[in-house]
Amino acid sequence: MLGLIKKDLLMIKGTIKFIGIFAIVYSMVAVMEGDLNGVAFIPALVCIMMMTTFSYDEFNKTDAYVTTFPCGKKNVVKAKYIATIILFIASTLLSIILSSAIGIINGDFDFQYALEIALGTAIGVSIFQCLFYPAIYKFGIEKSRIGIFVIVFAIVGVGALIAKSGININFLKNIEIFLDNYGIIIIPIITIILWSISYWISARIYMKKEF
Amino acid sequence: MNKAIEIKNLTKSYDEQFSLGEINLDIPSGQIIGLIGENGAGKTTLIKCLLNIIKKDTGSIKIFDKDTDKFETLIKENIGVVLDDMFLPEVLTVRDIDTIMKDSYKAWDSNLFYKYMKDFGIDKNKKINKLSKGMRKKLEIATSLAHHPKLLILDEPTSGLDPVVRNEVLDIFLKFLEDEEHTILLSTHITSDLEHIADKIVFIDKGKIILDETRDNLMDNYAILKCELEYFKKIDEKDIISYKKNKYDCEVLVNDAKKAKKKYKECIIDKITIEDLMVLMIKGEK
Repeated sequence: MLGLIKKDLLMIKGTIKFIGIFAIVYSMVAVMEGDLNGVAFIPALVCIMMMTTFSYDEFNKTDAYVTTFPCGKKNVVKAKYIATIILFIASTLLSIILSSAIGIINGDFDFQYALEIALGTAIGVSIFQCLFYPAIYKFGIEKSRIGIFVIVFAIVGVGALIAKSGININFLKNIEIFLDNYGIIIIPIITIILWSISYWISARIYMKKEF
Repeated sequence: MNKAIEIKNLTKSYDEQFSLGEINLDIPSGQIIGLIGENGAGKTTLIKCLLNIIKKDTGSIKIFDKDTDKFETLIKENIGVVLDDMFLPEVLTVRDIDTIMKDSYKAWDSNLFYKYMKDFGIDKNKKINKLSKGMRKKLEIATSLAHHPKLLILDEPTSGLDPVVRNEVLDIFLKFLEDEEHTILLSTHITSDLEHIADKIVFIDKGKIILDETRDNLMDNYAILKCELEYFKKIDEKDIISYKKNKYDCEVLVNDAKKAKKKYKECIIDKITIEDLMVLMIKGEK
């Protein structure tokens, strides 16, 4: 299984360089502008990079090939999830370090704020990946990509409608207060639960899949 | 003789259009078995069943005397695979393949892998998508061999290769077979390759095995009897495996060349090639 984790990481090593360049350029801009929100893009970009590994696998029919490895079908899925989680943790840590460093350089270091940005993005990216990995295993990356666009636009559309309709969204304030107090504990727990459920569904789909 | 593969009553159906079965096949250790048949005959389906890439409907498969359902991981440690158009993502480099494989197979031998790369003239820093078709195929073959497998399962390993490279590849297979515990199951359209190296030919058509013969028996005893259309009526039905009527003459596939030579002295008895055999068995009448 370790070989398969390495496979996914090696596939995106070229784009990891791109993330590095992005982080350096953004840091310089953020130091000048004093805006930290851009670091949230790092986990989001890494998430997109991981999606491309599915495309490469599909294009080269790699799933059929790796099924011949002595590791079992379940471990093929497990490897994909572990590679994703490794990148997810690394990119979240990177965004915390970067926003802290930018804050220190600018003289307005606020660790709580840096943590909020990182964890907020983390939960968003997690929900996205946990939702779509089973879909990709079921329908393939091409069909799922269309689904991703439809759902993202639907969410944005619903959000815009709610904002325009004047519905009272004060309850969001309560959620925000709750997360301010307990987010550091709750968000990792929710993330672990989401990943576990997503993996369980994906593994069941993959075990039944034929190539 | 030990059996490398033992298939009993194997069936697999995709839909009403195609089904495999019932396949019964024994493959002894230390031999090259040539799997032939036209496109869509069921060769790849059979190979995928062997490797658990697809699930069989019924029947049992044993490899190295072990059930493939129960001992999948153990069995796969000892199998090398080349599949038609299926490999690791082409954005990876040759060096990446070594990195991945040494954590995938217990017996992966990096030295052997790089020795093949050197012998084949493949640059280890090159990406797979920068390799020519021939080079890529050689890489796939080297990858299948570098963990010292006992069994090679090869689906069209020489397709698209020029004759020089094809011969090099066939030499590698013959070298692999110098160890009498090693076995090769080779599915191919290039039947002339099998005439040189196969010990046994298994012919699959419409999901069923229609011929399972040693190459020697096939080449020595099977023949094409050529006669005029009028003369065809005189040929004993029992001697005919299949036949094809042309405009002026008739070609008859027989499985006892010596007997046919004595019995039908007015006819020409030609040696058979595996390609002739395939064409007559598929397109011929019975």
